[in-house]
Amino acid sequence: MRVASFSRDPAWRLEFGRGVRAAFPAGPGVLAWGVVTGVAMVKSGLTVPWAILISLLVYAGSAQLAALPLIAAAQPVWIIALAGFVTNLRFVIYSASLRRWFEAYSLRRRLLLGYVTGDFTFAMFMSRVAREGEFVHRDAWFLGACGFNWLLWQVASIVGIVAATAVPSEWGLQFAGTLALLALAIPACLRWPGLAGAAVAAPVAVLARGLPFGLGLVAGILAGIAAAVTMDAAVERRRATAQVERG
Amino acid sequence: MSNPELLLVICGLVLATFLTRVGMLLVGERFKPSPRVESALRFAPICALSALIAPEILVHQGTVDISLANPRFIAAVAATAFFLWKRSMVGCIVVGMLVLTAVRFGWMG
Repeated sequence: MRVASFSRDPAWRLEFGRGVRAAFPAGPGVLAWGVVTGVAMVKSGLTVPWAILISLLVYAGSAQLAALPLIAAAQPVWIIALAGFVTNLRFVIYSASLRRWFEAYSLRRRLLLGYVTGDFTFAMFMSRVAREGEFVHRDAWFLGACGFNWLLWQVASIVGIVAATAVPSEWGLQFAGTLALLALAIPACLRWPGLAGAAVAAPVAVLARGLPFGLGLVAGILAGIAAAVTMDAAVERRRATAQVERG
Repeated sequence: MSNPELLLVICGLVLATFLTRVGMLLVGERFKPSPRVESALRFAPICALSALIAPEILVHQGTVDISLANPRFIAAVAATAFFLWKRSMVGCIVVGMLVLTAVRFGWMG
């Protein structure tokens, strides 16, 4: 069943255009983040064609940056894929929320909608359906917003990849990738469960870094998740108790 | 890393990012994560980020170095402080890189 297609339907195109415009506010951030990722990829030792291929196919800034130190250290492929997978797990939560709005579309359309999902466009889409419910041609809006985001990201990444070859390695620009991940991590640490997870994952990963097959990373992630889930349950319990006492 | 290995890495990353984005759009309503699983999913990324960047920041010349002798540690502290102050990702990266460069080339005494 095809509910809507890339047709010449003017209503579909109108909604696509609205999606593109809705993605504008995130533009500067996407550009900066893309350039940093592009530069960091090349400065971590990838050649230009490989860096461009990764950018085009993987299309996940945090997962790409996460993979870099592991590629540089020649870690096993499955560890690199696992690091990318875990870094991207937030999209499982996103797509679980998107499912009911997209379930009427064809399999091919859902695959495309899933592939282009981004953090900002997801948040914008959810706020629109919260206001308007099941609006018509929501696939067009989503594809417009995410497609614009995709294009900006690729242009910025490739600019970064090409520009990086002109920068001497002594500048240590690959560290910009670590700093970008740091800026992603800090907001999550401002709540107790996230802070607990980070406070356990970081030292475990540092102390276990010598383990073979990159298992130190896995140990850090698992220990961190255990700490975060425990803290989350404790916070929930406290909130529930406080509510009972107030009520 | 050799080219065939890099190709495998790309395949692995494509699979990993595709599965996380598309997986839940393909399964039916009955695959709803339990609250505990959802909690784990919510906090897994921050744990992965911490486990990835901690060794990059804290390990200097092969050993754990949490002191002024470790340029990347100082840069990360400065970048964190700036981010908490201004909430700007670009600012965080710029400040971190400037401090890193300043410390490495001994511009700070």
